[in-house]
Amino acid sequence: MSTHDNATDDTTDFGFERVKKEEKAGRVREVFDSVASQYDLMNDLMSGGLHRLWKRFTIELSAVRPGQTVLDIAGGTGDLAAKFSNLVGKDGNVILSDINAAMLSVGRDRLIDKGALNNISVVQADAQFLPFEDNSIDCITIAFGLRNVTDKAKALASMNRVLKPGGRLLVLEFSKPVSPLLSKIYDAYSFSALPAMGKIIANDPDSYRYLAESIRKHPDQETLLEMVEDAGFVDCRYHNMTGGIVAVHRGIKG
Amino acid sequence: MEHDPAVIAGVCLVAEKAIMQAVDLSAGTREQLKGLYPLTIAVNCSSPAVNLYVTIDADGAVTVASYREESATVRLAGSWRDFLGVAAADDPASALINGNIQISGDTAPLLRLQAVLADLDIDWEAPLAETLGPVAGHQLAAVIRAFTRTSQSTHQRLKRQLSEFILEEGRLSPPQAEQNAFFSAVDDLVLRVDRADSRVKRIKKRLAGLSG
Repeated sequence: MSTHDNATDDTTDFGFERVKKEEKAGRVREVFDSVASQYDLMNDLMSGGLHRLWKRFTIELSAVRPGQTVLDIAGGTGDLAAKFSNLVGKDGNVILSDINAAMLSVGRDRLIDKGALNNISVVQADAQFLPFEDNSIDCITIAFGLRNVTDKAKALASMNRVLKPGGRLLVLEFSKPVSPLLSKIYDAYSFSALPAMGKIIANDPDSYRYLAESIRKHPDQETLLEMVEDAGFVDCRYHNMTGGIVAVHRGIKG
Repeated sequence: MEHDPAVIAGVCLVAEKAIMQAVDLSAGTREQLKGLYPLTIAVNCSSPAVNLYVTIDADGAVTVASYREESATVRLAGSWRDFLGVAAADDPASALINGNIQISGDTAPLLRLQAVLADLDIDWEAPLAETLGPVAGHQLAAVIRAFTRTSQSTHQRLKRQLSEFILEEGRLSPPQAEQNAFFSAVDDLVLRVDRADSRVKRIKKRLAGLSG
């Protein structure tokens, strides 16, 4: 089972390394600065395009309606934000947020190309310290971002704070495959094929090795469910996808 | 058994793309669909247990989803065989109403949707011309059209000849009139057996009353 960050410890996971908490954000930033330009291409290659289906189901679970405000944390290249932009319509608002300026820049350019920026704001923010008013957001999504956050409990509490009562949180993240056989295949793929692809496509095997390691260190389905409940969310549940390689957790602010 | 949401999402994506491609290639269909907004059709398939929601948006776009919280305008429930039967029928509207699919909710928009689908006229030549250029695209379309016409007429001729062979030359099946007379006689016999059965029961009851 994966581990929680220990509140009394001043270190945290950075892949399989332990680093000081104040160092992690910088190290993560270096990784994403490096992969930003090739991020979507690599996502397609690494997941065989499946990340689009995982995100599609997450959007369905959001049940976002016209006029609502949606915050997409760690939204990076903006693919979820573009979809939410259509769903909330001209009376709604989508906030694309990421801690990494390089990823946001790629995302903003892409949204401009799609002509989707009229109801989207772009905000550089740390998920642990969301710069939004209490009870101001209808729906928060964080897709493949929570595992890179230094203090996940603090980030979940921050999300709970800014959500309106009845608002929902959706965490889409890599998780633990339910079948041992799939787990072995997935391990072999992650630690061999993934860095190799990173080297060929982005000339950056280390960053992709970090991605694989950070996935292994991320809490499994049940642990993350507990963390979401501990952050004050109610009616929490999760859905495994692709045999548990990915799970989407849902919580409602009570 | 719970299905993998990613697989269902993939099915929805493919269905949605196919529907939207057909809609965009049929002049006027999108405008007609706009008139149906807001419409959500819930399709509850019992075996395999899959729920799909087909929604028509304000701009006439059709979305297919596996999860939806708003209530549906109309709900169709049945097994995959029932839905396949409707899809394959010559007259899907009639098959839907007379088949095993349970329909609940407001059916009026469903009938309007059926009218829109009946008017669907897909200009499949357009993407060919876009890809190959107007001359080559048109030539290929003419070949495909001629091939389709020949296939259809051959299929109809074969169907007719096969039917004639079975009925008249091979005498493998009795003529329709003979079949109808036979089925009518069977129905009549069933009715008479039912009447005799209830008469026997009545007599038994009376005898039991006399002996008691």
